[in-house]
Amino acid sequence: MVLLTVGSLYKEAYGVAIMDEITGQTGRNVNISAVHAVLQRLEKKGLVKSSMGGATNERGGRRKRYFTLTQAGKASLDQSMALRSQLYQSIPNLGFNFSSI
Amino acid sequence: MNKTPPRWADKFLSWYCNPRLLEEIQGDAYELYERRCEEKGKTVADRSFVWEVLRFLRWSNIKRSNSKYQLNNYPMFKNYLKVGVRNMSKNMVASSINVFGLALAVGVAITVFIFIDYQYSVDSFHNNYDNIYEVINHVKEDDQVQKWGDSPMLLGPEMLSNHSEVKRIARIEYQRGNIRYGDNVFNELIVFTDPDFMRIFDYPILYGNKSVLDNKQQLIISYEYAVKYFGDENPMGKEVSIKFSNNEIRTFTVGAVFDEWPKNMSFGFNVMVPISNFFNLKFKDNYNWADYTDATFVELYPERDPLPLESAMQPYAELQNSTNSKWPIERFQLWPLSTLALSNFEIDGSVAEGSHPAGRVALSVIAILLLTLACFNYMNLALASATKRLKEIALRKVFGSARKGIINQFLTENVLLCLFALLIGTLLSYTVLLPGFNSLIPIFIPFAFSSLQTAVIFFVGLLILIGLASGAYPAFYISKFEPVRIFTGKQKFGHRSIFSKIMLTFQFIIAFTTVIGSFVFTDNALYLKEKDWGYDQANVLSIPIGDSKLFAGLRDKALQNKEIKSIAGAKYHIARANKMTTIERLESQFTVMSYDVGFNYLETMNIRLLEGRFFEQSKPSDLTHSMVVSQDLVKKLEIDDPLNGTIKYDSINYRIIGVVDDFYYNDFFSDRHPVFFRMSKEEDFGYLALKCTPGNLKEVDEYMKAAWLELAPNDPYNGKYQNDVFQRFYSDNESNIIIISFISVFAIILASIGLFGLLSLNTAKRMKEFSIRKALGADQLSIIKLANKDYMWVIFISFFVGAPIGYLLIMQVINAIYTEPQGSGWTPFILALLIMLTTIVLTVSGQVLKASRANPAENLRVE
Repeated sequence: MVLLTVGSLYKEAYGVAIMDEITGQTGRNVNISAVHAVLQRLEKKGLVKSSMGGATNERGGRRKRYFTLTQAGKASLDQSMALRSQLYQSIPNLGFNFSSI
Repeated sequence: MNKTPPRWADKFLSWYCNPRLLEEIQGDAYELYERRCEEKGKTVADRSFVWEVLRFLRWSNIKRSNSKYQLNNYPMFKNYLKVGVRNMSKNMVASSINVFGLALAVGVAITVFIFIDYQYSVDSFHNNYDNIYEVINHVKEDDQVQKWGDSPMLLGPEMLSNHSEVKRIARIEYQRGNIRYGDNVFNELIVFTDPDFMRIFDYPILYGNKSVLDNKQQLIISYEYAVKYFGDENPMGKEVSIKFSNNEIRTFTVGAVFDEWPKNMSFGFNVMVPISNFFNLKFKDNYNWADYTDATFVELYPERDPLPLESAMQPYAELQNSTNSKWPIERFQLWPLSTLALSNFEIDGSVAEGSHPAGRVALSVIAILLLTLACFNYMNLALASATKRLKEIALRKVFGSARKGIINQFLTENVLLCLFALLIGTLLSYTVLLPGFNSLIPIFIPFAFSSLQTAVIFFVGLLILIGLASGAYPAFYISKFEPVRIFTGKQKFGHRSIFSKIMLTFQFIIAFTTVIGSFVFTDNALYLKEKDWGYDQANVLSIPIGDSKLFAGLRDKALQNKEIKSIAGAKYHIARANKMTTIERLESQFTVMSYDVGFNYLETMNIRLLEGRFFEQSKPSDLTHSMVVSQDLVKKLEIDDPLNGTIKYDSINYRIIGVVDDFYYNDFFSDRHPVFFRMSKEEDFGYLALKCTPGNLKEVDEYMKAAWLELAPNDPYNGKYQNDVFQRFYSDNESNIIIISFISVFAIILASIGLFGLLSLNTAKRMKEFSIRKALGADQLSIIKLANKDYMWVIFISFFVGAPIGYLLIMQVINAIYTEPQGSGWTPFILALLIMLTTIVLTVSGQVLKASRANPAENLRVE
């Protein structure tokens, strides 16, 4: 989910923005610390990379860390997408045929 | 924008957070905070900020020290260890001296700690430990308030019925009696107690149960006594008879047996019988508030404060005082069991055995001094040996080691060495010191700690303390040097270091303090060993006779023996049975010791007459109205003409017929009261005293024993040489001398080790100087002088500082222990100085001779 959001936000992906995006898109309330934890894990796995942005007057002068998808990240998104759609494809044959059960 | 999140939460975040993550986390948190401030107000925002900060507190976000160097640390420590071990093995002598000295001090410290820890945990095996109190009386005696373990006989039951916080009580009443089982008869201390004694206290019980004393016919005996009386037989249900001091014989069944006594027990009784028997035996027809019992224990319900109860007990004191008791009670105090043994010295007639705190304090001070001494040694040697490693340090620095790294290196080495010393010290304490110590004291202390927690805290604390104390200075000092200065040889260090000299001085001050202290103490102890008792106690034998009818028979037997020069009977006997009482003169009361004696007793005991005469058979008035008093009494009563003076005792006026020299009826730990003698009738005699011709005491003892067996086969013979009556005191004294001499030997060894190490390094460094001097014509003597000069000053300064400190400290201890301390002469000081000087000269001369004898050419050659 976070990985997707990082991808979708493209160049504007940093902690709070990702959180907002998730909340906005899914309606789920996410804690900022959870987002950070996931981002750290993803970065360790090499699925995202990060760079510090320029200092602004907002945020008490603290810089933002922007996350972008790496090739591996993109690949893993593709892969999980493929997996999902493959699974999804196999649903109609069985899933909606309640009467047969 | 002017709104800021709670400062403390923000600070907390920056404190725990990994600095690499801090910026983004803080940034995000601020951004959210600002947004919430606008949307929902400051309070909500503040609250969620705090929540956020707490949520960020995750393992991955927490700052870890040196995380930058994480990869590098482990091999570096390995390197430190390796270099440390190599260094140690390179200076084998110096490091083994180091470790040995430290181990010695640690061993002493561990032993002392176990000793003190043991004393503080004594009696803690009773489950109700915290709720048990002994009733202590504050008794007014000669305008002084004394604390007594004895309390009114009737107090215990009264308290139980009148005060709701009292759960149980138990009285302790001592009586002597002859216990017989089959052919075994022994005179034993028999304790009458309330049945609840067993429930208040939790002594381990081998056979039977806690209700044993509920049955009037039953008694409980200790494991040791069960073996003594019944050997291999099962003691349960056996019948024993006890003959009490009023000649009544009662039969009891063994209803329970205590298990072997716990090691940390301050009191336990070998034979206990229900107290109802005591009243049945009718030692007295009626007991009122004036009668005392030996102890009263009270168990309160948990969590009750004893203080209100103490004040509620005041009416009992008044009740007791209204009986015109000789010992008016000022107030009662409930003394907790936890400190009972520790305060044994304060309480007269306490049931709990314990040592004097002066001993504990002195031992801990000594242990700390020795540890300090060893740490200083270590510090000095470490500093000196570090001079050899300056280049290593410089090299490390050049290769990029930070100062912190070097500090770490030295501390690691130190802690390693200390660990080593700790191990050896523990071993030393376990195998030598504690067993040795145990053999010198009357109790046995196991090598154990009161709890695992105590042990861990002690050992870790000790390790950190000595590791840091001895290693910190070299580590922090040396790591400061600049490599360039070291390489160019400009770094002057350790050469004539003031610091190490101050340390050495300090060390010797401690050594002198200890040595002088122990010498003065030993001097005093030796003096006490030889101290005059005030009468000639040699060649006197005393035998307690349970039954005064025995006296005539024994006397007749004794008369037949030519080696017996003089025979006398007495109701009380000096040192074995002293009676404390009060006398009156001119309306004021005085506490005295009294002895009711027969004719010839004073002559037999070799009491020294100063004025007047002893009792004479030809004067019948002596039997009823005469007293012989001690010089102390004359002084205390301020009688100008003693031989015409009178004293009122038991409402009879006695005339003083003689004044005798003061003598010691108790050992030298206890206060001495004035003494009077009066005559006793033969039917009251309790003791037989004999004076023999010199050297025949043993023969006479055996002769009397044979006579005894003939006359009284049912009672145990208990003859004792007068010389042995203070045996306990003398063996204590002997132990003190041994312990304290050992300690002073340790102190000397430690100080010499320090001197030796320092000197060997310094002489090695000055070898070139000495060689040049020699080459230019200096003779051996002047070189020896030169090498010694620095240290002699150190020693003299330390002597003049250390000696008075040691003297003052030990006099405090002596004053606390003995009632009549003896000031010390010059001998201990001169002896201490001589011994220290000899040790120092021996230590120094080995090194200096090496220097002065060496061939200059060899030292000056540079390859």
